[in-house]
Amino acid sequence: MTRKWTRRKVLKGVLAGSAVTVALPLLDCFLDGNGEALASGAPMPVRFGTWFWGCGVNAARWFPDKVGRDYDLKTELLPIKPYQDKVTVFSGFNCLLGGKPNLAHWSGIMATYTGVCPTKGGMGNGTADAPTIDCLVSDAIGSRSRFRSLEIACTGQSNVSYSMRAGSTVNPSEVNPVNLYKRIFGPEFQDPNGSEFKPDPAILLRRSVLSSVKDDREQLMRTVGAADRARVDQYFTSLRDTEQQLGLMLERPAPAEACVLPKSPAEAETGPVWDNAIRTHDALGQLIVMALACNQTRVFNVALSTAPSNLRKAGSAVAFHELTHEEPIDQQLGYQPESTFFMEKSMETFASMLHLLDSVKEGNGTLLDHMLILATSESNYAKIHSIDSLPILVAGTAGGKWKSGVHVNGKGDPCSRIGLTIQQALGMPVGSWGSDAMATSKPIAEVI
Amino acid sequence: MSGLRRWAPLASLLVGALALGWSSSSRADVAQEPASPGGPAVFRRLDETQYKRSIEDIFGAGIEIPGRFEPPLREEGLLAIGASKVVITPSGFEQYELRAREISAQALAETRRKAILPCEPASSDKFDDACARRFFAKYGRLLFRRPLRPAEMASISKVARAATDGTHSFYQGLQFGLERLLVSPNFLFRVESAEANAGGSGAHRLTGYSLASRVSFLLWNAPPDEVLLDAAKSGELQRPEGLERQVERMIASERFAQGVRAFFADMLGFDQFDGLSKDQSIFPKYTSQLSKDAEEQSLRTIVDLLVTQRGDYRDLFTTKTTFLNRNLGSLYKVPVDDSAFGGWMPYAFGTSDPRAGLLTLAGFLILDPTHEGRSSPTIRGKSVRELLLCQKVPPPPPNVDFKLVQDTHNPLYKTARERLTAHRDNPTCAGCHAIMDPIGLAMENYDAIGEYRMQENQAPIDASGKFDGKPYQDAIALGQILHDSPSVSNCLVERAYEYGVGRTASAGEREWLKYLEQRFATDGYKFPDLARRIVTAKAFQAVSADGAVTVALNQPARADQPSAP
Repeated sequence: MTRKWTRRKVLKGVLAGSAVTVALPLLDCFLDGNGEALASGAPMPVRFGTWFWGCGVNAARWFPDKVGRDYDLKTELLPIKPYQDKVTVFSGFNCLLGGKPNLAHWSGIMATYTGVCPTKGGMGNGTADAPTIDCLVSDAIGSRSRFRSLEIACTGQSNVSYSMRAGSTVNPSEVNPVNLYKRIFGPEFQDPNGSEFKPDPAILLRRSVLSSVKDDREQLMRTVGAADRARVDQYFTSLRDTEQQLGLMLERPAPAEACVLPKSPAEAETGPVWDNAIRTHDALGQLIVMALACNQTRVFNVALSTAPSNLRKAGSAVAFHELTHEEPIDQQLGYQPESTFFMEKSMETFASMLHLLDSVKEGNGTLLDHMLILATSESNYAKIHSIDSLPILVAGTAGGKWKSGVHVNGKGDPCSRIGLTIQQALGMPVGSWGSDAMATSKPIAEVI
Repeated sequence: MSGLRRWAPLASLLVGALALGWSSSSRADVAQEPASPGGPAVFRRLDETQYKRSIEDIFGAGIEIPGRFEPPLREEGLLAIGASKVVITPSGFEQYELRAREISAQALAETRRKAILPCEPASSDKFDDACARRFFAKYGRLLFRRPLRPAEMASISKVARAATDGTHSFYQGLQFGLERLLVSPNFLFRVESAEANAGGSGAHRLTGYSLASRVSFLLWNAPPDEVLLDAAKSGELQRPEGLERQVERMIASERFAQGVRAFFADMLGFDQFDGLSKDQSIFPKYTSQLSKDAEEQSLRTIVDLLVTQRGDYRDLFTTKTTFLNRNLGSLYKVPVDDSAFGGWMPYAFGTSDPRAGLLTLAGFLILDPTHEGRSSPTIRGKSVRELLLCQKVPPPPPNVDFKLVQDTHNPLYKTARERLTAHRDNPTCAGCHAIMDPIGLAMENYDAIGEYRMQENQAPIDASGKFDGKPYQDAIALGQILHDSPSVSNCLVERAYEYGVGRTASAGEREWLKYLEQRFATDGYKFPDLARRIVTAKAFQAVSADGAVTVALNQPARADQPSAP
């Protein structure tokens, strides 16, 4: 880096995928003495994200042997090496069915995300019997940002999302970087560091429109049946979210030093072909990172693919999910080489997300230091749909509230313990989480 | 509901004997209709097509509708049933709000204003209450599919008045009021309400306006037009002869074809065309346009046979008649001169041509989003079982041990049949694969994009098998067996009814469905007659006593009470 580079240029370099690490001085006037809180006394905002990949791992090549600090990195986890001290690895945390069926490519993800084994679904979709953790977190920390949460999927399918409010509707994903850009950084974006602040008077009228719709509620509740009343309620919850979003647009945004308006991405092909999917991941990921840095959202969800992953190498007749079931195990190697390609690449892609987050300097740390990101898959070994010892990572330190860089073995405990611990680390007053065999009130002491 | 599939095919004995014209027999038939308890009134989210069509029907063509729609949900075989389960998410709402603004701005733009306003305001910069009320009464009724209630009218006018005051423009005021209508759950959802049955039989029935929507969305996949709303208002729609008159009008309309297209697109899973892709390095003929054309070909074939020709539904499985455009001509190896036909040339496959019926058309063969590089007999077989026979294939067991090799390059297993046979030797898999694979293997002569082939990896393809104990040599012969199977026609009846009511049929409706299946047969398997029987049936408007609406029934104010404009 030369001195001629301006902050803006450097950040644009980061956004274009350049490998530089950016050290940005956050203006001192925004910070308290030790750089962990804003001058107003409010702590640095904490964020939360999920990052999902489909079809699991090869356990022997993924899970570390050594428990605690300085865990050993096996081949499939090697991509996270640069961030190892910011990544916690969990093994031996299970989806405990407690008599419920193992719904292939569904039970595992819902167990980790909702703390409840689902009763209906399979093959990457179905019912969430409780809200997913990102919704719980966004209820707690998301209401002061323009978007309560942002969802993205990398294979071009907006219904690929594991963010659910309970029920069978997913919070749909953005799949096209151009559209996501317009949504976040389009005309309604207010630069938190802009010198001018003039709220659009039309916003007040838009708010009055939404407020007026609430007049329809009572009559509607009387008309629909009991089961549909919850759906009416959800409609009005969603309406209030947008109302709140508009309300925030009337306030001068708090300055966000790391915020730089990114360039609009170029239109590019999306779909499950691997090269397109990772290009999409990085393009969407960069926008998410800037949305976090610019206080547009505090919660996000990434789905690299659907759970029975349809990721595929260009020109290959068979996709990842089919490979896990159909590809023979190479006797010399001891694993399925074609399937393993996707497992290794998934972790490289996660590392690329960590890179993006860790490149944005904030206070005396990085964006990654001020968040937690829960990364997981729906299976341990997809070939047999096993859901014991789900591969789970948590990256970040939640502004020092989470002790990162360790490997914790749960010895068969329910994976809901991880979700519970995350909620507690984020300051949510939650004493127990999950239900049936997944119920727990035992946070993981090793990390908090 | 699969138990319903097993009734004896006695109906087919009646076909010839009772090929009576509808109009002479219909009234008597309604009297013969078995009693049905009905089901709950439902609360359905408009899908993308219905939303867009509503805007176009109400405000005219040419309005651009931006933003991402919430993804649909398939439940119990139909998106139409999923629509009764889905919600509007926060990010989905954000998009609806954006759409409402953009649509309102276009609808009230200077160029369009004159055409859509029912009155001239006294002044363009002051609020004209009378004119605003006329405007909202007209568009409120069309958008909510019933008249606005007085409280709604007051609430909307208030928004418009405040916006007029704030912007000093009456038209801007209307624009915000229109936004208010467009984001309302009363527009975004089809809200059904019921009333006590006039006959006092104990069961409830839909209100006239709710019935108008059910009829209109089933026949046209569109909101009720003004004529239908008038018939609901006058009570005509709730009198059998009045309902029949409206239904005749609607089936005779050109828009009936769009309703038929929407139903079959749902039943055949055509939503999966969205985002469908095949690997071009393996299938050089594949383009995203090819899958659009394949979908269009199937829909044109269906509409032509069922609506234009008033043909027998079962012939969809054997018909040689279809439509081709230039792009598809290359796939089917047929020279196409589409210049005289606006791009789509009517075409009849020759007797020796290996194509007959929907299952041999690309629109079925290509429709597998899980396999981009090869055909999957398992998925094709599953599609036939689930989409056309209304049977449920159990999900794969979670702990399958796939010891046997499934690899398209394995020299030992060159064809899909060989690979799947290896699969089926495994007892865990055998049960379900025996249900799916034989049907799918019949279609192995067509590759993943529907191109005909005799061999796979230089080994000859054997497409023979048995369905319901009847042997066949290839997909064409299988099509004939499906044509003759009562399961196929009964499945259509069940799906059409469930599509119309937005929920699965209940156990109490079994007799009614049986009756409907028999009538479908005696009507000669004519789809328009089936649609007519459904929408004119008492069952179609019956609402169960334990259904959704008891609270509404207790309200003194009728849900459909119009407000004074």
